[in-house]
Amino acid sequence: MSLGLREILNKHNGILSGTSACPGCPENMAMRMLGMGLGKDVVLVVVAGCSSVIQGNAPYNAYNFPTVNVAFAAGPATAAGLARAYKQRGKNATVVVWAGDGGSADIGFASLSGAAERNDNILYLTVDNEAYMNSGGQRSGSTPFGAITTTTPEGKKENKKNLPLLMIAHNVPYVATASVGYPHDYIEKLKRAKQVEGFRYVHVLTPDPYGWLFDPSKTAEVAKLAVQTCYWPLFEYYNGKLNISPESLHCLDKRTRRPVRDFLSIQGRFKRLTEDQIKILEQYIDSVWEKLKSMLDNQ
Amino acid sequence: MIRKIISGNEAVALGVKLARVGVTGIYPITPQTTIIEKLAEMRAKGEIETEILRVESEHSAMAATFGAALGGVRAFTATASQGLLYMHEMVWWVAGSRVPVVMVVGTRAVGAPWNIWNEHTDFTSERDSGWIMAFASNPQEALDLTLQAFRISEDERVFLPMMVGMDGFILSHTKTNVLIPDQDQVDDFLPPRRQPYVIDPEDPIGMGNIFPPEGYMRLRESIDSALRNSEDVIKEIGREYNKKINPLGDYSTLNVSYKLEDADYAVVLMGAWAGDAMEAVDTLREKGIKIGMLRIRYLRPWSEKEIRSALKDKKAVLALDRSTSFGRGGGPLYVEIKSTISDVVPQIKGVVSGLGGVTVNKSDLVYIFNKFVEGLKDDVIWYYPKEVGKIELRTPRDIE
Ligand code: SF4
Repeated sequence: MSLGLREILNKHNGILSGTSACPGCPENMAMRMLGMGLGKDVVLVVVAGCSSVIQGNAPYNAYNFPTVNVAFAAGPATAAGLARAYKQRGKNATVVVWAGDGGSADIGFASLSGAAERNDNILYLTVDNEAYMNSGGQRSGSTPFGAITTTTPEGKKENKKNLPLLMIAHNVPYVATASVGYPHDYIEKLKRAKQVEGFRYVHVLTPDPYGWLFDPSKTAEVAKLAVQTCYWPLFEYYNGKLNISPESLHCLDKRTRRPVRDFLSIQGRFKRLTEDQIKILEQYIDSVWEKLKSMLDNQ
Repeated sequence: MIRKIISGNEAVALGVKLARVGVTGIYPITPQTTIIEKLAEMRAKGEIETEILRVESEHSAMAATFGAALGGVRAFTATASQGLLYMHEMVWWVAGSRVPVVMVVGTRAVGAPWNIWNEHTDFTSERDSGWIMAFASNPQEALDLTLQAFRISEDERVFLPMMVGMDGFILSHTKTNVLIPDQDQVDDFLPPRRQPYVIDPEDPIGMGNIFPPEGYMRLRESIDSALRNSEDVIKEIGREYNKKINPLGDYSTLNVSYKLEDADYAVVLMGAWAGDAMEAVDTLREKGIKIGMLRIRYLRPWSEKEIRSALKDKKAVLALDRSTSFGRGGGPLYVEIKSTISDVVPQIKGVVSGLGGVTVNKSDLVYIFNKFVEGLKDDVIWYYPKEVGKIELRTPRDIE
């Protein structure tokens, strides 16, 4: 990686060679950066998803962290149990739940919400590729409006569930969004999250070449476009205050946003969108930014 | 050691305290709720160190308990009925992980329709999950088995989770005289926690990732053989428990016989109604009928050896189930007993009763046992006590 990250990378390589990820996999990128951001003393709890497979077959494991694999809806509670055990044993550890968007927005949502409400001392990471990619790309609550998936061949009829805002509504100490297109921002946020006590939520957008239908060499580019077009806002909610990250500041003014078409047209999953449908998607993006702006105004 | 009049649920909570449990994942469900309430109360008063994790569902209760166990501390939870079914996925996950965990199930019927009363089907429905499964017949045994469960589950020859069942309300809420051991006695009996592996931040091991088919199958076989080999370990630990903690209890066998030796007829059952059944056996004995009882204390491991040798020379055996195995007529005990002794006992009959809190008292058992000795026409009957009468099922179509 030629982003001036080598120095940090050498400190702790979160992922070893020999993963089972597809070429251009965004989750691999997100995991590598997790190592750069969090370093050592990390325990991973991985729920069902691509990341259960990427680590490879036993007896080997490509994740360079102690890794607990667990059933789909069981991540947050398992992590909470581990965190309590370490507390009892006087051990210092950052327990990280690593879950996909299906695991977070759908099947594991009650468990995620419960851990947030209890302010369990864990760091919850959603790697959002906007569908159940491990089982072949079915729609999830986190799939955006209009996207073609194998269970919405006509395009999804509902908007994306906004998990980061839902987590802010839980009043937890730390919530952040990130994109694998902006490693510095993501790693900085992980570092900050590591310092916080209590429940921390980081939601990283991980564009998937195989579900979103773009060339695998373009993962980082698509992840950048998502931010530049303001489809995916980067922000941080910390100490009860919302901060829009520098990469997303231009989105606060509608006139300086890059057209969302630039993000849509690089992927195959939006190819059936009509002009009217693109408007619906734009309205959704507007509504998210209006919410963020009203939060900024009221703090 | 002191004696106290307490309920089964209180006895279990005291067991958890004495076992120095590190983390307890709790979620309420009748009739086990007073266990977790008691633990929360003891924690609030500073009587226990146990971390109480008040989770949002039973699925999470088992997950939290699992996480804590992986993290290297003794972990406990309790549940019942819908709750056990809701955590079913994690019950299996824990067994597959070979991590020692203890759970108490205050048994209760399963819906639909809603029914909060006693029945064993929630418990028996987990019999293929890979857990060691014991069932108490009084509050004393609930305490004793809970303490032994930590020791058995954490024995390196076993390393499997263990659940202890007890009849909802009948044991969970009924107060009896219970012998409560001192902390030093329990510390002497229960060494510090052992487990096959600990997930520690400094040691990057992985658990639970994809196993190729042959490795997976070998792992499943290891669970089966660990469960079957646990029989001797359970007896060894039981003998030590008799010696160090409760000289009045007899834990040197998995299952418990009553007046079986010279009996021609035998009744097999599990749980609290064993008390009434022993009295019913005595009543029949007074009339010269040679009948005895075998109480299944361990559903898993299923001690084929003990059960065969207890029943092999009987003329007829009756399995009394407070639990169903739909499509098999009788309940799980009937099915298991049949598969264990059908080559040596000519007649094996089954009675299903006591479901959903149907009260079966001593006079019902005397009636059932008499009918059994006279010779039942059907292989299996569903028995309704006289007071209940015949319940008419009304389906939506009937109502139209
Ligand atoms: S489907 Fe997508 S997220 Fe899953 S392994 Fe392949 S590239 Fe990675």
